[in-house]
Amino acid sequence: MEFSKDVLAIDAEKVAGQIADFIRDRVKHYFRRKGIVIGLSGGIDSAVSAALSVRALGRERVHSLLLPERESNPVSREYGLLCAKALGITCEEVDITPVLESYGVYAKRDAVVKKYFPDIGTDYKFRISLPQDLLERDRLNMYRLEVLRTDGTVLTARLSHDDFLEIMATSDIKQRTRMTRLYYEAERRFYVVCGTTNLPEALQGFVVKYGDGGVDMEPLQNLYKNQVYQLARHLGVPKEIIARTPSPDTYSYVASDQEIYFCLPYDTVDLILYAMDHQVPKEKVAATLGLTMEQLERAWRDMAHKMEATEHFRAMPPSPLIGV
Amino acid sequence: LDSKNTIREFIKSNFLFGSNDTKFSDDDSFFETGIIDSTGMLELVSFVENEFGIEVADMDLIPENLDSVNKLAGFIDRKKVASAS
Repeated sequence: MEFSKDVLAIDAEKVAGQIADFIRDRVKHYFRRKGIVIGLSGGIDSAVSAALSVRALGRERVHSLLLPERESNPVSREYGLLCAKALGITCEEVDITPVLESYGVYAKRDAVVKKYFPDIGTDYKFRISLPQDLLERDRLNMYRLEVLRTDGTVLTARLSHDDFLEIMATSDIKQRTRMTRLYYEAERRFYVVCGTTNLPEALQGFVVKYGDGGVDMEPLQNLYKNQVYQLARHLGVPKEIIARTPSPDTYSYVASDQEIYFCLPYDTVDLILYAMDHQVPKEKVAATLGLTMEQLERAWRDMAHKMEATEHFRAMPPSPLIGV
Repeated sequence: LDSKNTIREFIKSNFLFGSNDTKFSDDDSFFETGIIDSTGMLELVSFVENEFGIEVADMDLIPENLDSVNKLAGFIDRKKVASAS
């Protein structure tokens, strides 16, 4: 097929059927379990995964969880409930804040923020983000701390290496806490945990190892984000969820997937990943995306680096060959 | 030690665990050779600021300034000259 913006078009009914068959077969014959547990984030990926699970097993065999913490966007809860209600599946809400507090997550994170902004107090929102001028200049992916004060002003600072690691650890533990709660629920029901990771997230490493990446199966992992949207529309996912800007909802100051990680719109990420996989000439890719060759090279280089740096996310833990 | 040697020693001790197994020239890209990733670059920037007493601004965070021993040494020299003038 000639490379164009339409190259990701799918027969949504056919693909939905294939994925539902896959889910049903794996749950019944591979895992030999009774159903699916899925965490609903209020976003499109979990909504589509849940809808496909219902199509595969019926709504009575799909159990959903909302796992908010005190910094979660209230919209995530609202849309998660909306999704569960639309699908007619059971939905349980478990606030993971006490677990995170027991680890000292918020206190440790606050200590880092106060190193940069000692007078910030306690009533603030924060996030980390990358510079969004990836296409415009050669630059390095160095995270910045952004603090939103109650008066609407934003303070920024470049994080030191140690502080960046502390922030990441206090963020990723949220996903890992959710994973353990999902497995608790799956085990007591004799169900499997269904993942919600799509192809660009998987290949670019926008996933927390043993967090949202800690699941039994990934029905969406071979679908580009654009194709997830096509499925969402076909499956009747509520329009509010489809229209919502994708976000990991990890930080109290709302940040999109693009701001936190990709630095590019999903449409661009999708097509470059497709081009990488299908050896499409770069000149053709640049022309299709409306980019100069210089811009495409920057995006391509950044994405190749992310793919390489996160290769271990997609592999089994390495172990040595032992000669006997 | 001049700045190039100081940088090389830091990279060797910090990223290569003191080993000589990984060879790199002063012109080799840290990224392309896989010696340093973006998280490691944060560590390198902190080292440069502390060791050489210079401030690395956001606009300085570009491969042309940081992505090899020679580029980094040249950047440090330019910063020192700029702060002295």
